[in-house]
Amino acid sequence: MTTAKRRYDKSGHLRFGILLALAALVATAPRAAQTPSGAQALQAACGACHRPDGPGRLARISAVRKTPEGWVMTIFRMQHVHGLKLSDAQRDALVRYLADTQGLAPSEAKPARFALERRPNVPDLELPGNLQTMCARCHSAARIALQRRDAGEWLKNVNWHLAQWPTIEYQQNARDRHWWRTASTVVPAELGKLFPLHTESWRIWQHHKAVDLGGRWLVHGHRPGRGDYWGTADITRGGDGDYRAAYRLTDEHGTATDGASHAIVYTGYEWRGTAKLGTLDTHEVFAASADGSTLSGRWFIADHPEIGADWTAVRAATQPQIVAVSPDSIRIGSRARIVVFGSHLGGKISFGPGTHARLIARSADRLEIEVAVDSAAHPGYRTVRVGRASDARSIALYDRVDRLEVTPAYAIARLGGGRIDPVSAQFDAVAYEDIAAADGKTRALRLGSLPVAWSVAPFNEEAVRDRDVDYAGHIDAFGQFMPAGAGPNPQRKFSADNTGNLFVVATLKAQAHPAASAKPVVGKAHLIVTVQRWNTPPIY
Amino acid sequence: MSGMKPANQKAELLLDAAQAGHVQEVVTMESIAGCATTFDPGWEVDPFGGIASLCQPMEADLYGCSDPCWWPAQVPDTLNTYPNWDAGAPSAQNDWRELDAVFPKK
Repeated sequence: MTTAKRRYDKSGHLRFGILLALAALVATAPRAAQTPSGAQALQAACGACHRPDGPGRLARISAVRKTPEGWVMTIFRMQHVHGLKLSDAQRDALVRYLADTQGLAPSEAKPARFALERRPNVPDLELPGNLQTMCARCHSAARIALQRRDAGEWLKNVNWHLAQWPTIEYQQNARDRHWWRTASTVVPAELGKLFPLHTESWRIWQHHKAVDLGGRWLVHGHRPGRGDYWGTADITRGGDGDYRAAYRLTDEHGTATDGASHAIVYTGYEWRGTAKLGTLDTHEVFAASADGSTLSGRWFIADHPEIGADWTAVRAATQPQIVAVSPDSIRIGSRARIVVFGSHLGGKISFGPGTHARLIARSADRLEIEVAVDSAAHPGYRTVRVGRASDARSIALYDRVDRLEVTPAYAIARLGGGRIDPVSAQFDAVAYEDIAAADGKTRALRLGSLPVAWSVAPFNEEAVRDRDVDYAGHIDAFGQFMPAGAGPNPQRKFSADNTGNLFVVATLKAQAHPAASAKPVVGKAHLIVTVQRWNTPPIY
Repeated sequence: MSGMKPANQKAELLLDAAQAGHVQEVVTMESIAGCATTFDPGWEVDPFGGIASLCQPMEADLYGCSDPCWWPAQVPDTLNTYPNWDAGAPSAQNDWRELDAVFPKK
């Protein structure tokens, strides 16, 4: 089981197997709430304990930069541990001010956005040096990577950890090594070098002009287990600086959903929306691009962040553009109904060699097209063209399915009960055909989601012995594993909880098979069904 | 292993297993963001990537975790941060339904 690892090297560069330079910012900008009232509110709320530290500066606070979620967590800690009294409105105003004036530049937040987006079952960042074992054994490495301080301030953070959780020394095997020496000298130095307070990215970002995100946007996305969706977002900026959005979305099964959102944009690009999508109460964590032309991220169900969908919005253009094509593939020798979504779509339609396209229906932003694929067509990608609009959108023609990749490959679900909701695990299956290329190598043809049946199986001998399949929960027709109830189960050995160690198995349904292929096509993932957690901040 | 003899029954079994090729290879552990996996064992997953070595049932020893700040990122510590978390729930085995999340939803 391999997973792409995101590693920081010791000089603070992020590596994705190969080095990716963190892009220099050509940016839009924050600067919304840099008003005297924000500074005054901060002074009024925090100045009684935090001494002045230079003009307009407060000790500790001015030495840190964080995401909006990071500031929410800090203020909650001040309220809970140190008795700070604030109304919700005061707290929200402080978060805005602090995220705007002491936030993260887009390039700084990018590597750990998965944590802000509450994406479940994402392998954590890999930090260099001692940071993985000293910090990321308890909480995510992403939580650290979303903060900026200098070494001296990081040391104060280490001191706070030891004071608040004194058994950390024992947990970290301080009896057998010079733990405190490492914690108080090496770790702050490493953190200060990797995640310093002053960076060129932030300096540049602070001087960029805010882009108004109002206007009409074209949206597309994928919801694991449920498929693709697309539609429009009409966004307006209110007099208070907040945004209101109205959504009209349709999924690949033809179900229409309207929605509405109220969003705050922090730091000039961090869109945080509270929305209603159909009957769902959702949160949105999107990032606006530097030029304000895209808005992308993830939305999720407010009470169940593990359930959500990718979201990409682009501004509706005045010239022809294709935004999405769904589904991703057509079987050779068959006919399929394809939706092409975009704007100003007109003219000749082409799906490339071996295909015949016929327009069935047209609306302002959508074409429904029947595509017939010749039996003699060669498998491979085809570029989709509609009149003058042709871009990178492509569709795959396939003659067989060789394998299914179930994502996430490794996942956890959590038991729920009493006051704690269960945490389900959502799986998705992507089909591939492996094509022999001329150079003797195999080229993977991605076919997207095809109809599959979901089941679970024991992962190992212990899971067979303990009958985990019977106790841990069940998986539904959409690939969502619903864990069983929490609490000791007297029917299990030692009254064990309903934990489980399972394979999640996707089996391709018959209708997606070409006639020649009789062998079942299956894909597997590993699922741990485990116990609940009670500490549930927005960044784990 | 030449020159070394197993000193007890468990060591003999391990030696037999090693000679029969039944000892599993060491594999790199995959860690999901937000899961504590390494302290003896982890909170969610044991050091072998499974659940067989987790405390079971978890409720039998839950307050043995919350009192001394064990897994504080998952279990509220009652030593300093959340002293009243388990108030009104004297027995974790019987009263676990009363235990609430500590971070406010809004």
